Amino acid sequence: MDPRIGDVYLSAEELAARVRELGAEIARDYAGREPILVGSLKSSLVFIADLSRAIPILHGLDFIELAGYGSAQMGGHEQIRVLKDLDADIRDRDVLVVEDVIDTGLTLNYLVRTFELRMPRSVSAVTLLDRPYRRLVDDLPVRYVGFVVPDELFVGYGFDLEERWRQLPDLRLLHQV
Amino acid sequence: MGLEMPVFQAYRGAEPPRFASQAELECAKVLDYYGVPWLYEPRTFVLEQSEDGRVTEAFAPDFYLPEQDLYVELTVMKQSLVTRKNRKLRKLRERYPDVKIKLFYKRDLERLAQHFHLDLAS
Repeated sequence: MDPRIGDVYLSAEELAARVRELGAEIARDYAGREPILVGSLKSSLVFIADLSRAIPILHGLDFIELAGYGSAQMGGHEQIRVLKDLDADIRDRDVLVVEDVIDTGLTLNYLVRTFELRMPRSVSAVTLLDRPYRRLVDDLPVRYVGFVVPDELFVGYGFDLEERWRQLPDLRLLHQV
Repeated sequence: MGLEMPVFQAYRGAEPPRFASQAELECAKVLDYYGVPWLYEPRTFVLEQSEDGRVTEAFAPDFYLPEQDLYVELTVMKQSLVTRKNRKLRKLRERYPDVKIKLFYKRDLERLAQHFHLDLAS
């Protein structure tokens, strides 16, 4: 394995247990409302796949992908760009944004503002990991948090290291060498 | 300094910002990219005054985010050298308890650089 990949921080079992709890909580809160889960690609992919199967009520699935600042997809643009927009019409829907991690809140803030222009019934967010102490943008509708984590980098369970290792079942610490 | 300045969309200041470092410029570009309104060093806070009223210590945080009502101070100094800046922040919080301010450390910037593939070497 890559020498930068360190110890297990959260095991597959710990992740699965917390995802089950989040799913049950979401199912309770959204009973009878058929929410739509919106995954922010790519790192949330594994989480949303597990979370969806842990929510025992009817719900939709959709995805959005933004060009991260400085990424190759940014293509010289100085304003944020949507690489893949939603397929679904979210008007009058209960939207639940599914994030891998919320840090500064810049991405989620952009998503919430964008979705609210489309007149949904509600917009909330669920995140696997949260670093609330790093927040630049407050007043975000973060309703469900998997784990509040320390100021470390992670790989596995959807998180990549140079577009590799997303498939690792555990969440592992990532060391800078 | 000779930093290449883009046309900022979310900048809310009257005069063009004059950044002191590449890291400040990159932070401004990130805020702009995500459409978060920002100002650069809009206010200087008096921290200490002599008995005759002269300002002996002041502090101008790098950024102000009006929608968040939040000041952000960047530092690319090593953690061990941040003590002086931390002391200033502590004084500011004591003297201006209603002011929200966050210090972004070298490590935070490295994370931004890693996450957003920025080059902070210069």
